[in-house]
Amino acid sequence: MERSRILSLAHLWTAFLCFLPAVGLGFWQMLMRSPLPAPVDDPNTYYASVTAHGSIMAYVFPTFFAMGFGYAIAVSALGRPLQGEKWAWVGYALSLIGTVMALVPVAAGRASVLYTFYPPLLGSSWYYLGLALVIIGSYFWIALMLVNFRAWKRENPGKPVPLAMFAITACALLWGWTALGAVSEVLFQILPVTFGWRHTIDAGLARTLFSVTLHAIVYFWLIPAYIAYYTLMPQAAGGRLYSDTMGRITFILFLVFSIPVGLHHLFMDPEHGAGFKFVQSVLTFMVALPTLLTVFTITASLEIAGRVRGGKGLFGWIRALPWHEPMVLGVGLSLLLLGPGGFGGLINMSYAMNAMIHNTSWVTAHFHLIFGGAVVIVYFAIAYELWPRLTGRPLVSKRLADIQLWLWFWGILITTVPWHIAGLMGQPRRYAIFDYSDPVVAKTAFLVILSVIGGCIVVISVLLFFYVLVRSSFAPVAESMPPIRYALSVNPPATVPALLNGFGLWNVILLALVLIAYGYPIGQFFFLHNQDAPAYSLTRGITK
Amino acid sequence: MKLENGPRLHNPWGFIVVAVVSATVVIAFGLGFLLLPRYQEPRAPFSTKDAVYHALGFHIHGKAFNTMQPPPKVPTYIAWTESTIRQATIGDRKSGEFIATNCTACHGEKGLSTQPWIPSLAGLDRLVLYKQLDDFRSGTRLSGPMSAIAQSLTSQQYADVSAYFASLPGLPENRGERTPRPHSSYRNRDPVQRLIYAGDPKRGIAACASCHGPGGYRIGAPALAKQNELYLEQQLQAFALGTRANDMDMPMRTIASALTESEIRALARAYANENANGP
Ligand code: HEC
Ligand code: HEC
Ligand SMILES: [Cu+2]
Repeated sequence: MERSRILSLAHLWTAFLCFLPAVGLGFWQMLMRSPLPAPVDDPNTYYASVTAHGSIMAYVFPTFFAMGFGYAIAVSALGRPLQGEKWAWVGYALSLIGTVMALVPVAAGRASVLYTFYPPLLGSSWYYLGLALVIIGSYFWIALMLVNFRAWKRENPGKPVPLAMFAITACALLWGWTALGAVSEVLFQILPVTFGWRHTIDAGLARTLFSVTLHAIVYFWLIPAYIAYYTLMPQAAGGRLYSDTMGRITFILFLVFSIPVGLHHLFMDPEHGAGFKFVQSVLTFMVALPTLLTVFTITASLEIAGRVRGGKGLFGWIRALPWHEPMVLGVGLSLLLLGPGGFGGLINMSYAMNAMIHNTSWVTAHFHLIFGGAVVIVYFAIAYELWPRLTGRPLVSKRLADIQLWLWFWGILITTVPWHIAGLMGQPRRYAIFDYSDPVVAKTAFLVILSVIGGCIVVISVLLFFYVLVRSSFAPVAESMPPIRYALSVNPPATVPALLNGFGLWNVILLALVLIAYGYPIGQFFFLHNQDAPAYSLTRGITK
Repeated sequence: MKLENGPRLHNPWGFIVVAVVSATVVIAFGLGFLLLPRYQEPRAPFSTKDAVYHALGFHIHGKAFNTMQPPPKVPTYIAWTESTIRQATIGDRKSGEFIATNCTACHGEKGLSTQPWIPSLAGLDRLVLYKQLDDFRSGTRLSGPMSAIAQSLTSQQYADVSAYFASLPGLPENRGERTPRPHSSYRNRDPVQRLIYAGDPKRGIAACASCHGPGGYRIGAPALAKQNELYLEQQLQAFALGTRANDMDMPMRTIASALTESEIRALARAYANENANGP
């Protein structure tokens, strides 16, 4: 038990220690793009910084977090020691080495390709190899989640797998399948060029492969937060989960529908016809379903808790909830931010409306609102929940934790709302610098400064988060620390249909859907359109 | 329907799930491939076959009009395909050195030109040298002496001589490291520095450094640092007037025609006096 706690803590600390500098870089980037003076003031540094910020926030931070949280769940929800702990450390080491390998060339200015790679842009091989290693390390975790899931089922035939474990396994499977898109892009398109075996990249094919990862990766980030929604929050609120079945269906829907929809990131790309774009647009609406189910179930669960605590009337239960519990507050605020975030997402994925916001700051604002607002705020809450259990030391102050969550909430709102508006006014994304002496650009100046103010609040919130964690790590060990408890549902299931207790059929449906949705869009490159473009290497040495 | 009865419900539920997913897919395909494309275009409705073609991304417009098209005006016959890049980089330095004896009269000993209107070649990128020679041959770049010389050489010899000049020390290589270089944004008060590092979006001018370095590197863009000032100035003027028009995708014609006379002069001077780390 003790050793697996260290395992989880190592992952979570690594996640947050990478997160911290990435937040700092993000803030500097906001300054660069604003009319305010920024230190260094150099566009090349900006792109290096965006690459580091994006690579950490999209790959490193959530991967380490999901791994650490996953191990904690496997031990606490299944109530048995982690099988294969040695391999977990191997995975951890690989991901850590990969992180360093990827970030060093970025810092040296040799891989400023942004985290989405944008071929035929080309950076140093080490960058891609490093990120591949991060992903390979996470495959150890995926395997271990499956192994422990199976082992528990074997020992407990016919019993429903605890929801938290079921969900984190869905998350692992989803990541395992979807990462294959980016990995094959790197292996078959980018690395042959950085190694000098080829000089051109089929940019269309590479982008399409990446799109296989690009949507589902968001659900890989999101599912750990949803696990807290379903299993930790109702417990912390002193109530029960409204429906266990609904939870299982939600996670299954995420698994099945979040991959064959990635073409919605390529609506404006010319290499695909309108037909498959439309089909995947329709399938994208199917992924909105589990989020709607979740909003319903979680609101219902909150109401149950509120009423158990004596809340009366139409809205009285809201006041009765224990908002001072960081987990309840975090999930509540996350739900609030999920509203506008999800709404923006509906616009992005609508084939026609997408044209309006394509390549504008709206998109960056959108994913900061979803990831920062709805997801990371729950990561904080999970950390507050897990830290005492993992370290045996109580949290120094729930009050500070609550203040931190509120600061984050307002910080993200103030950052992203003006950012969305600037995007609608036509502010392009991926720009290092803007010429505010241009009257058209000058119109966005006020909004951008507002965003920077939001960014300040976000930075303060993150510092406070670390203050609470570090202080708590040095607090005296508590005499007794209750273990992690997961919420029971209103009607705890004695058994569940086999379909809702495993992933066999779902994997088959997922693969069939991916084949239908992506078979032609990927296959066409091999017999129709040749879109080879000369690699645009950022450092001439690479292709010389 | 009681969920607790687990295993027995497996089959009907599995069937229902597959049926619902399939129905969704079928409806999506029906809408996306048959219905919408038929009525979307001005020339609609298409036949079913044309609708499917359209949805797959094949162009079916204008197929009916078999009008004569004038021959396209090509800026260059070089395209950066896998085979061109291979051809341009397999040159042999030794035979190149021999061919280069024909060049020294004008381009100087060891590729460093002493005449201000003739460019130095030492240290230029192989792809740049190869492309310019091919353009001189095909007439997409005009120059009396160079056209004649290029026509007397084979493409293998272009590659050889390019390998030779590229290996000589001279114009500093733009290594393209994107290392910090403070004050290279619009906030820089020096207008030439601003053009080089930030460009001028109001006039549609991209930053020279993003293609020519320092920092950026674009395939086919020659190094400018330490090149002869007069030559640079003349080339920019030629791009502006359209008398030089061999830049593919015409970045230089677009940019140069937006520059003023004095900017052209200042840029040429800045680059000519530049060291490896930029002006
Ligand atoms: C009679 C003089 C003369 C000789 C001999 C000569 N060149 Fe040139 N070369 C020029 C001039 C003048 C230009 C500039 C043309 C212009 O202004 O557009 C030039 C331009 C070039 C350029 C374009 C460089 C750039 O930066 O765009 C290349 C490449 C080149 N020469 C290669 C050669 C090679 C290789 C040889 C020998 C095989 C050679 N030249 C021999 C006069 C000469
Ligand atoms: C989008 C990329 C791009 C930008 C930005 C750009 N250039 Fe160029 N430039 C090129 C390319 C490519 C060529 C080679 C054209 C050809 O193939 O003949 C070139 C050629 C030139 C040449 C001729 C050099 C020679 O040796 O023949 C000069 C001079 C030049 N550029 C100056 C500039 C200046 C000054 C700026 C900024 C105001 C600038 N360029 C911005 C891409 C660019
Ligand atoms: Cu998406």
